[in-house]
Amino acid sequence: MTFDVLDPTNEKQVEATGLAPRLATFKGKTIGIVTNEKEGTKGYFRHLDRLMREELGVKDVVWRAKANYSAPVGAAIVEEMARWDAIVTGIGD
Amino acid sequence: MTVQRPLASRRHRADDIGAVQELYHSKGWTDGLPIVPPTEAAVRACLDWAVMDPDQLVGIEPVRELAITAEKLAINAVMAGCLPMHFPVVVAAWQAMLKDEFLLHGISSSTGGCAVLVVLNGPIRLEIGASGTFNALGNSDRATSVIGRSIRLALINLMDVRPGSIDRSTLGHPGKFSYCVAEDEEDMTWEPLSVVRGVPEGLSAVTVFAAMAPRQVMNEWSTDPKDILETFAAEMRANQLHYSIYGGNYTIVIPKQLRDHLQAAGWTKRTIAEFLHERARVRRGEWANVGKGAVVRDRADKVFPALGSPDDLLVVAAGGPAGGFGAVIAPWMGSKTRAVTVAIGACVDCEPPKPATPAIN
Repeated sequence: MTFDVLDPTNEKQVEATGLAPRLATFKGKTIGIVTNEKEGTKGYFRHLDRLMREELGVKDVVWRAKANYSAPVGAAIVEEMARWDAIVTGIGD
Repeated sequence: MTVQRPLASRRHRADDIGAVQELYHSKGWTDGLPIVPPTEAAVRACLDWAVMDPDQLVGIEPVRELAITAEKLAINAVMAGCLPMHFPVVVAAWQAMLKDEFLLHGISSSTGGCAVLVVLNGPIRLEIGASGTFNALGNSDRATSVIGRSIRLALINLMDVRPGSIDRSTLGHPGKFSYCVAEDEEDMTWEPLSVVRGVPEGLSAVTVFAAMAPRQVMNEWSTDPKDILETFAAEMRANQLHYSIYGGNYTIVIPKQLRDHLQAAGWTKRTIAEFLHERARVRRGEWANVGKGAVVRDRADKVFPALGSPDDLLVVAAGGPAGGFGAVIAPWMGSKTRAVTVAIGACVDCEPPKPATPAIN
C-alpha cells in the first residue's frame, strides 16, 4: 500500500547572511567581548583580552555581559556593537 | 459547501509502511521510534477537530522568529500517535511554550538537558482518557504518552531541536521522549493546578514547565504533614546543592497515600507551598560539602531559597493509590524560565475586553 505523507519540518529556508569582512589588522581597533559570564569563559576571555592588547595592538577591548546566558543579547548591547570593529562571542560554558 | 484551505507541506510518497519509517528516520524527522504516517486525511482530521485552518499561526518562536502553524503541529502530532481529540491540547501547550517567559530557545538548546513537562487539568483529561493515577509519570495512558511525544517531535522538526544541532544537551533525560501528566482531580480536595495559577474552575488547561527528570522520594513512616514535607524539602535542597542552587519554579507530585495524610490534616496546596518556601533553602557555603567549594567565595552565608515565593511551587496531585512516594521535579535553571499555564481553546493573545463607553448625555 502506497502512502502519501507530509513533510513535518518548517520548510522555511533561513536566509543566509554573509560573513562580515575580515579586519586587515587589529592595530588600533576596538574589539567587543560579549560574554555569557559562565565560569569557563572568564579565564579564556581574560587571556584573549591580554593577547589582543599586548600582541595584536588592539586599542580597546570592551566587555559586555548578557543579562541571561540562555537568551539573546539585549538591545542596548546590540546598539553598542555598531561602534566596535569586531566582536568575540559565543564561546564558553 | 465549505472550501478547505490547501495544505502547504511538501508531499512524499512511500511504497509501504516500512518505507515510511525509513524515509522519516533517514531524514532525521523522528525521535528514533516508529511514527504514524502523517497522511493528509489524518492531519486534516486534527485540524478539523480543533477548528483550525492549516495556515493558522499558533505563535512565533521569539528568538529565531520561526512561525509555528497549525498544519505543522498537526503533522507532528499525527506522527506522535495523537488522535484528533488530543490536538487541542498540543496546540495549547505550544501557545504556552511560545510565551516569552518560557524561554523556549534557551530551554531547548541548553546543555542542561531539560524536557517540557505538560500538566493537564480540567474536563479534557476525562474526554481524552488521560489518567493521573497509576504510573502517572511513566507510560500511564495513551493520551499523555502521545501528547508529550508530539511536543518533542515538533521541537525536532519545527525548531531543529535535534541532538547536536540546536539541542546541545549533555545528558538529557527520558522525559525528552514524552513528559505529560494529568492531575488526579477526581481524588483530591485541593484546587487543580490550573485554578491555583489563575484559570477559572471548570476550564481545561495546560501548564508547561521546563523540567529536569523526576526525583522520587519516599516517606512511609509518618502521617504528620510536616514530616512528609520535610522529605520533599530535603530533596529540593539536594537538588540545589547537587544541580543548581538558584530558585525558580519547582513541581512536586504527591500521590494519593501521602496526599490523604496532608488533606486529612487540612493542608492545602498553599500551605504546602508556604512550608516548602521556608524549608527548602540552602546556604551557599554548603556547596563546600558537595565538591563545589571553589565557587563559594566570600558568600558562604548567603541563603538561597529554592522557591522565590510560595507562588513558585507547582503542586500536582497524581500517582497510584498505594505507596508513600512522591516526586520533586526541579526547574531547568532557576528562574531563567517560568512555568506557563493557558486555558485550552482560549486566545492567548486576545486583548482584554474594552470597558463600555460611557453614555454621553
